[in-house]
Amino acid sequence: MHRRQFLTTTTAGVTLLAFPAVLRAQTKEPIRIGFPLPLTGTFAAIAADLQKGAQLAMEEINAKGGVMGRKLEVLFRDDELKPAVGAQRTKELIENQKVDFVVGGLAAHVQMAINEQTKAAKKLYISVSQSDEISAKPDTSPLTFHEALNPTITSRTMATYGMQNIGKKWWVVYADYAWGKQNNVVFNAAIAKLGGTVLGSTPYPLGKPEFSAHLPKIQAAKPDAIYAVTPGADNVPFLKQAISFGLKKEARIAQPLHFLYYTKEGGAEVFQDIYGATHFCHELAETLPQAKRYVEAFTKRFTQPPDSYSGYGYNGIHEVARGVELAKSTDSDAVANALRKNREYDHYKGKQWWRACDNKSFQDLWIIKVRSPQQVKGEWGFFDVIGKVAANEELDRTCAEKGHA
Amino acid sequence: MIRSAFGRVKAWVTVHPIASFVLFFAIFPFIAPYQALATQVLIFGLFALGFNLLYGYTGLLSFGHAAYYGLGAYGAGLALAKLKVTSLWIALGIGLGAAVVGGALVGFFCLRRRGIYFAMLTLAFAQMLYFIAFHAADLTGGDDGLRGIPLLPLSIFGASVSLRQPLAFYYFAYVLVVLAVAVLKRILDSPFGAVLRAIRENSDRAVACGYDINRVKLLSFVFSALFAGLAGALDALRLTVVPVDSLYWSTSGQVVIMTLLGGAGTFFGPFVGAATYLVLADRLSIFFEAWPLVIGVIFMAFVLFLPRGIWGTLTSRGIGQ
Repeated sequence: MHRRQFLTTTTAGVTLLAFPAVLRAQTKEPIRIGFPLPLTGTFAAIAADLQKGAQLAMEEINAKGGVMGRKLEVLFRDDELKPAVGAQRTKELIENQKVDFVVGGLAAHVQMAINEQTKAAKKLYISVSQSDEISAKPDTSPLTFHEALNPTITSRTMATYGMQNIGKKWWVVYADYAWGKQNNVVFNAAIAKLGGTVLGSTPYPLGKPEFSAHLPKIQAAKPDAIYAVTPGADNVPFLKQAISFGLKKEARIAQPLHFLYYTKEGGAEVFQDIYGATHFCHELAETLPQAKRYVEAFTKRFTQPPDSYSGYGYNGIHEVARGVELAKSTDSDAVANALRKNREYDHYKGKQWWRACDNKSFQDLWIIKVRSPQQVKGEWGFFDVIGKVAANEELDRTCAEKGHA
Repeated sequence: MIRSAFGRVKAWVTVHPIASFVLFFAIFPFIAPYQALATQVLIFGLFALGFNLLYGYTGLLSFGHAAYYGLGAYGAGLALAKLKVTSLWIALGIGLGAAVVGGALVGFFCLRRRGIYFAMLTLAFAQMLYFIAFHAADLTGGDDGLRGIPLLPLSIFGASVSLRQPLAFYYFAYVLVVLAVAVLKRILDSPFGAVLRAIRENSDRAVACGYDINRVKLLSFVFSALFAGLAGALDALRLTVVPVDSLYWSTSGQVVIMTLLGGAGTFFGPFVGAATYLVLADRLSIFFEAWPLVIGVIFMAFVLFLPRGIWGTLTSRGIGQ
């Protein structure tokens, strides 16, 4: 044997002996996870962030040898933000790709269609989109888990914070689809309960952010504050129009959620002093060790810090992996039972848990406010974290209110 | 050699169109990438077939065919999810009934105008239905779509057959689509079918020949809605959810593209168009997000250079009519 051949063979052999888990993971059939998400459409930027989080989780798990000696393979599919497409892509993932589990969906109406397919195929599904219905009867199932926040939690939180710190008289502008409508209903009820007033609500079609006909009417009502439920790519046009009509000077603006990438796109001049909630922002790395590790890993892998939804994708994949490890099985029922029995987890920002009755995840959330252009830190430091709301099941509807006995 | 083989296929398909359809779609789930896609092709082919009756054979361009597809879907879906009917046949009947009634009403008003005004009226009615479904969330599920549709077992001759397996559902849809295709063939071969084509070619001459063309057009409209409604009802059962997009203009646009791509006015064109569109969309979307660009270029190429569509071009150049 030549010297070069000897060295090559020996090195390969030692490597394989040193990493038996990696070897096993490479030779066994991978565990497949289907991941439909809207890579095109109004939520494309958020979907790209979600995808990166899931990808990072997959790569981290595989680098450690996979799960039960098997690699994870996450198959992403563009659902185009259309329920029928989401349903068809999920069918393809289940039937053609033989996925073991499904994670994903990024709009309330699309995740419902995905959920119908996973229920029929008896596959565990971790939804990562905000919705009140997904964890309530009759839509939920023992195999349906909900990782994201929901409109009830988000809008109750913002109403409480808003009444204490922003104003008493409100006007709601909301995208006229499931998530927007649910936020409007919850926010109206919460403000009334807290003794405030919602002077009016303005629905608009999602993805068609034209507000010029509505803004004079809102200004005439003289609200203290606007609750802007203008998600995705609608966010920037709404704020720009509010500025050009002078509304931003007349009333303070809060929104259920803030997104880093849209804030960067619009710039601090547009977003300055806008309040919002979030389940994660990269500024948390300054105070939370778990967040610091996650933000560093994400930034190293993708050369930019994570936005909030990447955390949902990251957790979704990690929870599937944890469930499989616990159950020692890829059977969906076994994994679902294992997650319910071992309901606490902490992958990137602190303790979370699955509520037993509805498989709903409970997690901390934060109130954030956008800095002025002069205060923005570096390229991405837009948010001031101004409050924390600890995970609390009382923020959501009760199990009985959601139809669970 | 190849040309003569094409010639023999052409001759056989020309003489036996229904048998050709039956044979090809009997094996289709085994050559399609997966069975749910095969079923989708079958259902959208049926939808395009209905549209083709109105556009390809009668010469009436509807931009609102999603209305009848959606009415069929919501009819069957509501029957199962809200009325809790216990028979799949009754649910399908309610879906078909909703599409036929909707088609008759919309057709009655729209057929009072011609050309672009007719097309715009069909679009307006479809969009009205969309917004009604969107806002009647308590009944239709609104933007979340109608959920909770049980896929009941099929009761036939006293036996109960589960449709949960994709292949079982495919053959259930296959039987109904074959029946629909046979009915369409009978319609087209009848004197009524000849009058439809006469209206398409020259409606003034058809009037001069003594035909009540408004009545014939309305019947064509209702038959077209019937086929679209059956497609919608089957899709509601396939997905066990009815997205509100079923009624949206983009669904109407999709069926226009499928029909033109396959070949308007040809018997198999709608199925060829549906298969081309859906298989391309399914396969390309796995690799890149800009797949509509590819289909758009193909569509434009056919419209500009081969306006008879895929099947129309093949029939004029070699393979069966």
